[in-house]
Amino acid sequence: MSRDITFKYWNEISEGDVVTQITMDVPFERVILDAAATQDYFPGHHNPAYARHQGQKEIYLNTMAIEGFIDRVVTDWAGPHVFIRKRQMQMRSSIYAGDTLQGEGTVEKCYNENDQHLVDVRINISTESGLCVPAALTLELPAVRPS
Amino acid sequence: MSEIFNEPFPLAYGTYEDAVKLLNKPGKNVVAEFSVNWEMIKVYCSMVEDGNASYWDEDYANKQWGGIVAPPGLLLTWAMALQWHPEKEREHYFIAMKIPLPGDTLINVATDTEFHRHLYLGDRISVVDELIDVSEEKTTRLGVGHFLTTKAKFFNQREQLIAEQTNSLFRYYVPEGES
Repeated sequence: MSRDITFKYWNEISEGDVVTQITMDVPFERVILDAAATQDYFPGHHNPAYARHQGQKEIYLNTMAIEGFIDRVVTDWAGPHVFIRKRQMQMRSSIYAGDTLQGEGTVEKCYNENDQHLVDVRINISTESGLCVPAALTLELPAVRPS
Repeated sequence: MSEIFNEPFPLAYGTYEDAVKLLNKPGKNVVAEFSVNWEMIKVYCSMVEDGNASYWDEDYANKQWGGIVAPPGLLLTWAMALQWHPEKEREHYFIAMKIPLPGDTLINVATDTEFHRHLYLGDRISVVDELIDVSEEKTTRLGVGHFLTTKAKFFNQREQLIAEQTNSLFRYYVPEGES
């Protein structure tokens, strides 16, 4: 299944623009794939008994998986020509095997700094249980669409 | 806790005072086990279903960036320790795991990363990190412990700064009877 690629340029983006929502299910398989893909074998990501010992209800995604999903929300919306300059994220609650992830956001600021064309976006990652990971990113984009 | 866990993820144990002694002392420079490679990039992208052409399409990536680049979310992965090595003792490379404290487990709380340049196929990173803050004992809904903040700098093999990351985690234990 191929996806259409969107290319947004800095001068086409405005404060208040909506960053398109995407969703992704998180079966156990994805949490295990996460541990392998990121070489992060902390047992909370693959051992349900250990996760419960930690006070968690189930094995859960690690930070790197959530980073990848946040970045995907941004680049699915604006395009593969985005350079992510900054990403700040807070893990308020865990994302468990069995959850469905939802990512969406809004544009907060468009500005120029050090000859870079920058866009600040706020991205919220939620599950059925509510907001899990709020994030703020600064993106660098080409200024205008090539003619 | 009724179940005995092997410690696949050994932590350093000690007191808050022991941890404070390690503040603002950079750890050793760690050269990553993994060089940046397309296979691990593809596995990671398949995990988050990211079809970004910068990671999959050589023609596009060559034109846009000068080559296939690594997803920013893989930054930490390149420097993760192997589960076994013929010559090295198993240890964590990141200093957050080596801070002596009472908690027997941990959870990540916040991660801020600033990226300066891309990583390309074949690049090999090195990392230096240090503990910049440790809280006094706190009680949260998960348990009792200390918040640790570390700062890491990531360089490529040409000593160019790739990224700087500030990370906070909660190192805690679940009080008896609540697990």
